[in-house]
Amino acid sequence: MSPARAALSEGWPVLLTSVFIGATYGVLARQSGLSVLEASGSSLIVFAGAAQFATIGLLKAGATPLEIGASVLLINLRHLLMAASLRPYLERASLVRRLGLAYILTDEAFAMGIGWFRRGHRDLAYYATFGTTLWLCWNGSTIAGAVLGAGIGDPTRYGIDFAITACFAAIVALGARHRSDVAVALAAALVAGALKLAGASVVAVVIAGALAPVVALVMRAPQPAVEPTEAT
Amino acid sequence: MSYWLAIGLGGIATYLTRLMPLVFRPRGSAPDALRRYLDALPIAVIAALAGAGVAVPDAGPTHGAEIVGAIAAVALARWRKNLLVAVIGGVVVVAGLRALGL
Repeated sequence: MSPARAALSEGWPVLLTSVFIGATYGVLARQSGLSVLEASGSSLIVFAGAAQFATIGLLKAGATPLEIGASVLLINLRHLLMAASLRPYLERASLVRRLGLAYILTDEAFAMGIGWFRRGHRDLAYYATFGTTLWLCWNGSTIAGAVLGAGIGDPTRYGIDFAITACFAAIVALGARHRSDVAVALAAALVAGALKLAGASVVAVVIAGALAPVVALVMRAPQPAVEPTEAT
Repeated sequence: MSYWLAIGLGGIATYLTRLMPLVFRPRGSAPDALRRYLDALPIAVIAALAGAGVAVPDAGPTHGAEIVGAIAAVALARWRKNLLVAVIGGVVVVAGLRALGL
């Protein structure tokens, strides 16, 4: 099977999820007062689900553009780490191609792509195909959700507004490997929830997200200072 | 207008986080503590988003449906290892509990 076909046959459950979440985003964006153009603009320009949902909440809370930009930056800092992990596989591409490969880097594309490369493959077609298809799914479903959104009625009746939260919880559950991951996740979720209940809508996620990794530092004490096997 | 400014700033910030490691090679290596902090950051941010969404799903605090829904999504994700199944399961649980008045 060609890498491009493998990307689609292995990735379809994730792609389908993105359609579901993208449509949810479109509906909620529309119902919070954005136009179809504004809702789609976010999916086109930012193209990062977590940050886009957070942006809707921040707009409702009356945040300034600078506050929104800073929150989006913090939420998306994780891309730095993902891009750094993909770097050994993507750096052979020309600069122009890397500009495009960076644009389609999402949580999902990272997870699928790194899985492919770690199985020993070297081609870029798998990552590029999956990332581009995800982009199409996300932007297409945003438009569909935004167009239909005004006529759907109250989305909370169907629990649709909960889709993105369920998605975050599931991503954490799928990604947690060590005990310290679980501790960090619980700490972040509890602190963010408590701050949110206390009325700190704008900064809850930012503060909790920045503080919780400290738990990992405490739990996994520094290794004894042994350099990793250097020839002496 | 301020909406597009916010989206523009967010878009530039996001693109830079995706691009910079592919273009610039870091010199030396980060201190161990910083590396471990950064390792834990993605899961912390995503969990914080989940926690905030569970505690205050819309305008007011949760009545409990979202807590059960999140637990269901986590359990399904661990059990079936499938994002779509977990998301739909969580949504169905929340819709059901809300219909029951939670």
